[in-house]
Amino acid sequence: MSQIYEAMVLLDNDVVRQGYDSAKHVVTDTLKKYDANVHACRRWDERRLAYPILRKNRATYFLSYFEMPGDRIPAFRRDLELNERVLRYMLVAVDALPEGEAEQARAEDGADFTVPPPPEDDAIELVAEPTSELVDEEVDEEEMLMLDDKED
Amino acid sequence: MAPRKVRAVIGSKNCDDPKIDYKNIQYLEKFLTPQGQILSRRRTGFCTQCQRQLKQAIKRARHVGLLPFVV
Repeated sequence: MSQIYEAMVLLDNDVVRQGYDSAKHVVTDTLKKYDANVHACRRWDERRLAYPILRKNRATYFLSYFEMPGDRIPAFRRDLELNERVLRYMLVAVDALPEGEAEQARAEDGADFTVPPPPEDDAIELVAEPTSELVDEEVDEEEMLMLDDKED
Repeated sequence: MAPRKVRAVIGSKNCDDPKIDYKNIQYLEKFLTPQGQILSRRRTGFCTQCQRQLKQAIKRARHVGLLPFVV
C-alpha cells in the first residue's frame, strides 16, 4: 500500500552552482529509481544553515511530495545517505498533498523560471584564534639564584 | 502566600493550528527562548496535542538546519 511522503533534501550548493537541472536530478533520479509517483518536486529555498552541516554554511532545500510503498523506504533512505551531494534529508509521511504544491512545482518546470544562483562562498567562516596579549615572562636563571641566596 | 506571577501567553488557544509546520520558521521562533529551548505549555498556551505538534515541528526544523539546537 502506497503512502504519500514529503521529502526535504538539502543539497550542496557546489552541485547547484554546476547546474540547477543536474542538482534537481539528484532528487528526481533517486525517486525514479524506486518507482515513486512524484506529485511535486521543487526548490524550496536557498538559505544559511542554523549550524554547519558537513562543513557547509549554506544549502539549497528541495521539497518533494511522492507516493511510494513503505517497503521501499529503507532502501530509498540508504541511497540518500550514501549520496555525497546530499547534505541531509528528512522524510515525513503526510495525509495528502498540500494545496498549491503541485502548481508551484509546475511553475518551476516552466520555461520562464529562473533560479537565483547561490552566493559565492558557503564554506565555514574560520574564526581567528584570539591573540593573547600575555607574553610568558622569561625568568632569568641568575635572577632566580640571587633570590634563593637572599632567602637563605 | 504570594500569588503566582501570571506571564503573557504567546500562542493562541485554538487547536489544530495550521501554522504549526517545520517550514514555518518565523512562527516557530516565537516559541523558543533566546537560548533556543522550547517554551513550556504554560507560556505557549497550547493544548496538549498542539504543544506536541509544536515540539515535533521544532525538532524537525532543527534536524534540517532551519533552527539551531543551541544559540
